[in-house]
Amino acid sequence: MPQLTYLEAIRQGIWEEMERDPTVFCIGEDIGIYGGAFKVTDGFIDRFGPERVIDTPIAESAIVGAAFGAALTGMRPVAEFQFMDFIGCAFNQITNMVAKSHYRWGAPAPLVIRGPSGGNVHGGPFHSQNPEAYFVHAPGLKVVCPATAYDAKGLMKAAIRDNNPVIFFEHKYLYRRIKEDVPADDYVVPLGKARVARAGRDLSIVTYAAMVHVALEAAELLSQEGIEIEILDLRTLSPLDREAIAATVRRTNKLIVLHEDVRTGGIAGEISAIINEDAFESLDGPIVRLTAPDTPVPFSPPQEEYFLPKVSDVVREARRLLAY
Amino acid sequence: MAKKTKQKATRSKAPQKNSRNGRPSPASLSQERTYTIVDYRLEKPAFELRQVRDGDAVHYEVTGTLSAPVPSIRDSRYLSKQQCIEIYRWMLLNRRMEAALENLYKQGKVVGGVYFGLGQEACSCASAYALKPDEWLGPMIRNQGSLLVRGFSARDIMMQYMAKVGSPTKGRDASSHFGDIQKRNVVAPISTLGDLIPVLAGVALGARLQGKNIAVMTYIGDGGQSTGVTYEGLNFAAVQNLGLVLFVENNLWGYSTPANMQFRVEDLAERAIAYGIPGVIVDGTDACQVYDAAHEACERARRGEGPTLIEAKMMRMKGHAIHDAAEYVPRALFEYWKKRDPIARFESYLLNVKRWLTREQHETLVAAVDAELEADREFAVASPMPSPETAAGGAYCENGCHEIRPKYGVPKVKAGKAAASQCAEATVHLK
Repeated sequence: MPQLTYLEAIRQGIWEEMERDPTVFCIGEDIGIYGGAFKVTDGFIDRFGPERVIDTPIAESAIVGAAFGAALTGMRPVAEFQFMDFIGCAFNQITNMVAKSHYRWGAPAPLVIRGPSGGNVHGGPFHSQNPEAYFVHAPGLKVVCPATAYDAKGLMKAAIRDNNPVIFFEHKYLYRRIKEDVPADDYVVPLGKARVARAGRDLSIVTYAAMVHVALEAAELLSQEGIEIEILDLRTLSPLDREAIAATVRRTNKLIVLHEDVRTGGIAGEISAIINEDAFESLDGPIVRLTAPDTPVPFSPPQEEYFLPKVSDVVREARRLLAY
Repeated sequence: MAKKTKQKATRSKAPQKNSRNGRPSPASLSQERTYTIVDYRLEKPAFELRQVRDGDAVHYEVTGTLSAPVPSIRDSRYLSKQQCIEIYRWMLLNRRMEAALENLYKQGKVVGGVYFGLGQEACSCASAYALKPDEWLGPMIRNQGSLLVRGFSARDIMMQYMAKVGSPTKGRDASSHFGDIQKRNVVAPISTLGDLIPVLAGVALGARLQGKNIAVMTYIGDGGQSTGVTYEGLNFAAVQNLGLVLFVENNLWGYSTPANMQFRVEDLAERAIAYGIPGVIVDGTDACQVYDAAHEACERARRGEGPTLIEAKMMRMKGHAIHDAAEYVPRALFEYWKKRDPIARFESYLLNVKRWLTREQHETLVAAVDAELEADREFAVASPMPSPETAAGGAYCENGCHEIRPKYGVPKVKAGKAAASQCAEATVHLK
């Protein structure tokens, strides 16, 4: 089985879907001859032609609007945002035009909006953000945040085949840092199904994207002390896998929710509420939120390291919670 | 530096052969550039609006030539007698439907407000009439006439305003906020302005990927054109040579703000020059001018030659919505534009100038419109409100509720090797 990076897996997922389905096309900034800022679509224009790999003006609302319009005619556009930080420029198109279309007038919008998000790359306040929570809050959208190369490919293929608008957050720290066996054949990872990334009995960590790897590292350290952490990788934030979230708490009775997004209004609050509603009686301690603080993502490496949740933070909070 | 020569030197009533797509004419490359804006109008209203203080109050005052004679309807180069009568009928239906809506509002049967296209019926109906059935339209709030032309009925619009379960959105949205991707090819608008422009461009892109150049039409007002997405959408359509026909409906008022506080150019059609696309001015109260410009722009779109910006000049003859008495509008402006009423003038043109309709035929036509409206009104009033629980669900397309398939045929794609090749190293500045 070939080893692929997270980025190569995403690229292979889109490529295979374009081979399989002639209604799939890519649209975005610098995605053609240049192959995209991170080279996700490198070589696509040579294979699929400029008709299906469309370089656009720097105009995020136009990109989303045009993708939506094409979707209304039965196409399946894959729109790239050079950085997900810039998604705010198209916020109205995404949340008012696209997200509401099926509810309001029965028009499905089968499109994918994808791009790199996340920090730990010293990108500063405008190249490191995790804007996923805004879109979890918009009914009509699906939100995907893969943590592994295998999932990235399978979720991308599922997102392209989905009949709903999917916002696909690719964690740029993972792009070329993780590599694993990825089947060369056609498979999908269904949207809305979380994955137990590590089984354990003592405490659960619910997380997603790059923080899955932080949690895994912390779990390894704690395992040496005989503490077994269960890690639930959400994979998709909308729809959330409520059953899996409740089930892990029923198994371990203790929960840390870990994310790289800022604290207030982040998905951790929503997950805490789900436990309150679905598994309150299984809790043997308070739900712990471990998140970035409520500031923009700072630029300087020591500041960014302070900002991002770290392995040592997870270990500390796990010990604190286990003492209950 | 090249500069754009202004006004008369740049205008002509017919397209000039040596100037196309906003490109300079060869003769003037050395010093100045000239650009052509095609102007179909038979008169050019000349007045100015300004804010003046009068004691403790500030109000708008209009100065200029307000007593100019009313122009006739310009003969269409394309419309037959029968087509003119059909457009006239749509305009009549549009106006009388809105009068019925006003009555329903006064009877307390409408939920929320009512938006009117009074004075703009020629622009809505004659523009939409230029589209073919398999082409697309995205209406703005006042383009209720366009929706009628695209095949929706007055009862659909009435039920939208009354929030009935039988409305096109089943009660979920109001007014002209509805569409149909199956038969009528109408994109439902949202309340924010300019957002339909890239969407309609995308519709044309989708059709082109499926092998067909189509015309797609949408509208923006003198107020709405101030938004950034207007620029993004039209520029994208221009760059991609997509068959967008953008009607800029200059009705002089964006809610309560006059056009001269929205933009600095004399004519919004001049904006076309900066997009590198043709710009056209029509009298928005003249259905024949509106149709001819729309038809030419649609034909250009079907030839794959790209978008056209058409500025239609007219006036919104009511307030922003039914709650707004438009007291900020100087009365003299209402009087000026009332004389240019699109329906009264078209009626006179058909009956007296062309003699295409006799009095009796006209009375029969009006009676048929009224009968249709009355039947629709009764149906809409009698139809039920949605049950509360119908608010739930439907945010997602799931369980096979829609089948997605290309509308104009499966795109032809390049055959090639099946595997993704290795990709290059990232060259972004981030490590």
